[in-house]
Amino acid sequence: MESKLELPVLRRSSKGHGQGWLLRLPGILYLTLMIVVPLLVIIQDGLREGIAELIHQITLPIARHAILLTLWTSALMTIINAVMGLMTAFVLVRFEFPGKRVLNAIVDLPLAIPTLVTGVMLVMLYGPQETLGNFLANQIGFEVIFAPPGIVISLLFISFPFVVRNIQPVLQELDRTQELAASTLGAGSWKTFWKIVFPALILPLTSGSLMSFSRAIGEFGAVVIVAGNIPLKTQTAAVYTLGAVESENRLGASAVSLLLTSIAFLILITANAIQKYRGRKNAAD
Amino acid sequence: MPFKNIGGEKMQQIKKGWGRWVLIFLVLGYMGFLILAPITALVKGAFENGLMPVLRVITSPVFLQSLALSLKIAIIVVILQIFFGTSIAWVIVRQEFVGKPLLNGLIDIPFSISPVVVGYMLLMMFGRNGYLFPIMEKLGIKVAFAVPGMFLATLFVSLPFMIREMIPVIKNLDRKQEFAAQTLGASQWKVFWRVIFPQIKHGMIYGLTLTLARALGEFGAVLVIGGGVQGRTETTTLYIFRCLDERRYIEAYTASIFLGSFSVLIVFLADWFKRRQIRQHRNDNGFVG
Amino acid sequence: MKSFWKLTFLLTIIFSMAACSGGETSQTGDEIKLILGAYTTPREAYGEIIPLFQEYWHEKTGQQVVFEESYLGSGAQSRAVIDGFEADVVALSLEADVTRIQEAGLITHDWKASETGGIVTTSIVAFAVRSGNPENIQDWIDLTRSGVEILTPNPSTSGGAMWNVLGAYGAALRGQIDGVPADDPEAARTFLKQVLANVTVMDKAARDSILNFEKGIGDLAITYENEVLVGRQSGQDYELVIPSSTILIENPLAVVDASVDKHGTREVAEAFVEFLFTPQAQEVFSQHGLRVVNSDIAAATVDQYPIVEDLFTIENFGGWQSVMEDIFGESGVYTRAILEVQGGE
Repeated sequence: MESKLELPVLRRSSKGHGQGWLLRLPGILYLTLMIVVPLLVIIQDGLREGIAELIHQITLPIARHAILLTLWTSALMTIINAVMGLMTAFVLVRFEFPGKRVLNAIVDLPLAIPTLVTGVMLVMLYGPQETLGNFLANQIGFEVIFAPPGIVISLLFISFPFVVRNIQPVLQELDRTQELAASTLGAGSWKTFWKIVFPALILPLTSGSLMSFSRAIGEFGAVVIVAGNIPLKTQTAAVYTLGAVESENRLGASAVSLLLTSIAFLILITANAIQKYRGRKNAAD
Repeated sequence: MPFKNIGGEKMQQIKKGWGRWVLIFLVLGYMGFLILAPITALVKGAFENGLMPVLRVITSPVFLQSLALSLKIAIIVVILQIFFGTSIAWVIVRQEFVGKPLLNGLIDIPFSISPVVVGYMLLMMFGRNGYLFPIMEKLGIKVAFAVPGMFLATLFVSLPFMIREMIPVIKNLDRKQEFAAQTLGASQWKVFWRVIFPQIKHGMIYGLTLTLARALGEFGAVLVIGGGVQGRTETTTLYIFRCLDERRYIEAYTASIFLGSFSVLIVFLADWFKRRQIRQHRNDNGFVG
Repeated sequence: MKSFWKLTFLLTIIFSMAACSGGETSQTGDEIKLILGAYTTPREAYGEIIPLFQEYWHEKTGQQVVFEESYLGSGAQSRAVIDGFEADVVALSLEADVTRIQEAGLITHDWKASETGGIVTTSIVAFAVRSGNPENIQDWIDLTRSGVEILTPNPSTSGGAMWNVLGAYGAALRGQIDGVPADDPEAARTFLKQVLANVTVMDKAARDSILNFEKGIGDLAITYENEVLVGRQSGQDYELVIPSSTILIENPLAVVDASVDKHGTREVAEAFVEFLFTPQAQEVFSQHGLRVVNSDIAAATVDQYPIVEDLFTIENFGGWQSVMEDIFGESGVYTRAILEVQGGE
């Protein structure tokens, strides 16, 4: 089916009026086939027994716990990621120090490393038989693997680039005269940061954080290895869905997927709106 | 750093000297703990018995077969995403039409939807009881538990990367050149190849490497739709998963390192290309538009 | 720069061509493909038996059999076959998973017609404990002690997990556990609940469960006896504890009619199934920790596989059909117990 669609795409140099549909149609068709149709299938499947049954499925104790666990670990991750991502971006843009280029490159690593590999690595580091994991569990009583901290750490790993890479360009282009004026007038560096720099970063920080949150609630590869998969304790929604798909409970799988997808969709639309607002504001400035 | 020329800056630098180092060390420590420590643990595990076992794994037929399948799926996916990703990004930047915000939101769906659900959706469409199963059966195409299904799954999960990378690139295009070329009577084809393409090619490379990395690393969706059949639907990630199950840890770790460093390498290469372009054009963009 | 693009273009074409040519090989005269869909535990055994069969078949017919193997949790494997995974032969953990495929219309022959009722290997539900048995776990009753951390897989995907539940519940029902009266379903259910309350990790499949145990999680894993033996063979230092009363695990095997008819592989598939019952193959199963159905080999390995004091079977529960309803059904014993355990936390 794709080969038929390719021909008109090559005529992309149309100016956007008159012939615009030549370019738009295949693109929209492609997105419809790839995204809308599967989504419709799952919506239809989730609702096949009616909305009441759908609600029933997601409020079953095991499903509800899995959803809540996913949401709170993702939220906690988002907060940590926002703070550390902001700090990382700031350090990478504003300071000069040896090894900065390497550090900047490392930020992208989580995008390239398969999430399954992430899970494997984390178990090798924090597993109860490993030196660090053993130390944390027995000396400090802090269990990472097969416990919520492991979930949060794996989510932090996979979503680390989102906040950093969203803030970096904005910070780079920030007009520094205001800052200099403020510090010349005697404002401390903290005050300068909070009053001048931070307000400009709120939008990219929010949209980056929202992106990482919505990325996190669907995460499977890393979490399936790191979390213990025990219902009502460490089973996340994605792992619950796998269990439901592999057992008779297909309605439950559709219902939970539908809920998570809707949350992610709403968040993404919000993130997009923020981006758009930012774009307009920039244009107005 | 242009601001160094501005008076008073030096004073400032000295005054906040210690705070700056605290910040730098915090970030270094965080990234070390979050990203580098796990990677080190993995590398240490793989080379536990020296170099020979590692070499044996990466030359073993089963591993190479899985890698070939991964690459095959990823490369076809990348080729398709280059065409569609670029054209969709173009449509979003240059055209106004009803439902554009919705389209914009849809693009990111694959990014946040759980891969397991992706596999499940495909199973509902192409599985034996799926809606499209009878049609596919007639056409003689096996989708579920076969490579075509895994290909569709990978296509789905990697969809946003190219588009999101291309949107800012197309936004930053210098339109004067386009108009000039058109005014001079260049055909649309020529305008694209001579004027537009040179400006977007680095963005394209970066987008395609991100897509490639994502496609190579896909696990949940191909597990559900492919079933992980040895020698048939086993990609490298599924091979790693199987090795873990069979207690062949050295093989699992080695394959993980290989796959990870392969993806990292291509992303870094692309990053390097992108940086070169930035130096040339000074037009900047982040990963997500 | 131009040459770079030429190179990219060239590579693209080469890869696309490679991708397109890598289609499926047909069932030609000298090569035949057989797809095996199995549960996770016997994979090492199949790894050894398959080359033996390939040799046997090559000698007999001159054909080279190429195997494609898939190992998933038994329930998951069974559903994958129903969803369109065209396995020629399924080797699953429990009868109900084969029956499900049969009910979907994919197995049309009477697969239980053989001497052993379609069962190729057996095992028992046993415990893996830490080296030296520091928690001193000897029998089911020790599993209810507070603070003992148990691993067992999730019955919604794992066949092994169902056997484990049946082992605990059955031993209690039969009055083999101190303080639990015989034939008292309520008391047995309470006992099952006490065991489940100590479960800390529930994995997808039996293999995942024992692997997590190896990583240092928990004090014991309830699992197949053969999982423990295979683990020990691979150098793990945990120990096997066999409870005084436990259930006989019976693993069925069947040719999937719909697949073999489609692939034209019935002959080789049936030969493979037959081969698995030969002393040669049964011997290999036995070496990999499985109790075999071949009586000669079973007799020869009796030292390795001690006789259980009180061994019961699925028939004591009235067969799989009633088990699926009374125990794992929507208001079954297990379903209610796990909900109560988890609701109480």
